[in-house]
Amino acid sequence: MMSGCPGSRMMAFEKSDAPEGAVGNVPSQLRQWPIQLHLVSPQAPYFQGADVVLAADCVPFAMGDFHNAYLKGKALAIACPKLDGDQEIYVEKIRGLYEDAKINSLTVTIMQVPCCRGLLGLAMQALKASSRKVPVKSVIVSLQGEVLQEEWASA
Amino acid sequence: MEKYLRTPIKEIIGKYPPVGALLEEYRIGCVPCSVGTCLLADIVEIHNLSPEDEGTLMARIAGIVSPGQAVALPEPRNRRPETTRKFSYSPPMKALVEEHRQIKRFLAVLPAVIDRFDARSEADRGLIRDGLDFIRSYADRFHHAKEEDILFACFDPGLDILKAMREDHERGRAHVRAAGEALARCDGEGIAANLHGYAGVLTEHIKKEDEILYPWMDRNLSMRQVGELFARFRAVDERFAEDRKKYESFVGRLEDAYAETISEVR
Repeated sequence: MMSGCPGSRMMAFEKSDAPEGAVGNVPSQLRQWPIQLHLVSPQAPYFQGADVVLAADCVPFAMGDFHNAYLKGKALAIACPKLDGDQEIYVEKIRGLYEDAKINSLTVTIMQVPCCRGLLGLAMQALKASSRKVPVKSVIVSLQGEVLQEEWASA
Repeated sequence: MEKYLRTPIKEIIGKYPPVGALLEEYRIGCVPCSVGTCLLADIVEIHNLSPEDEGTLMARIAGIVSPGQAVALPEPRNRRPETTRKFSYSPPMKALVEEHRQIKRFLAVLPAVIDRFDARSEADRGLIRDGLDFIRSYADRFHHAKEEDILFACFDPGLDILKAMREDHERGRAHVRAAGEALARCDGEGIAANLHGYAGVLTEHIKKEDEILYPWMDRNLSMRQVGELFARFRAVDERFAEDRKKYESFVGRLEDAYAETISEVR
């Protein structure tokens, strides 16, 4: 029987028969720098009125099609709710995205491991504190990159 | 089969009634629809059946319209499995569904109001005036205007499903106009007939929107569109905030006043 933290449990995925998928140069959909939530500023021009993706650090690695499926046309911030420090700054910063950058929508993409829910929690805590509301969607991604659930979050 | 996919559903059901019963089996309620101009292909798409169900339904329809013939069936759409997407309305759709809930509360009490209406009573005529004001202001100017001016503009205006929804709105408005004219003549029967007619149209209309149209729209709206709809709806909500409170409390008062009659009717 497995035990311990599902977020750090060791697993290997056999991929020998997996299809290769897109070949050649797949263009990046990233339109900004920096992207780490501690480093970005809600005042940055690329956030103003934007549709924003707040991605848990692991998601773009797990999901083969993250750029086209979720990043295309959107601004990005990434964070790890398990390992990053000073997360109260994250809450304020996300609130700044709602209120100051007046973002149009927020998509929070997280892994299926329980600790990742914390990122959605930060986004919702910020939304609750914000005087301006926006639609927030959560996307839960499996360890092998499948979308397990897409759901609208309510404040 | 391609010919039937591009044919209005009412025409197909008219010619092949078993198709209507078959659609009912798949919870596709086209039979009672008074418009029926939607094309079979659009209806199947809008109901988001699983590829397996879609394939079976198409084969069974082909068996009805072309019995004993080999028919080339369209490839079922390859959709993401239902289990990966937990259905919930997007925030702007959720707001419209909540407004529907208020309208349904009003529609639920309406038969009791009509039942006890006495055209000779000024108080009763005043109540009908207030009811018509609720319909015109809350249901139509506030809610239907959000749909027609903002939401429907996100989609191709030529879509049959949108034409059908607009037609429902117009039929509702015609009943309200006629009820207002009957009220001016103190014509109790005219008021009752048109308010019952309105309730019938709106009840069916709301069901179609909540169960079919809004989920389909949600599946087709981008995050950008959802965010924009949300902001535009909130701007309308802010402009209408005071009136909204007034009309929602009117429904509450009506429910209280007719509580006994409603429970008797139920």
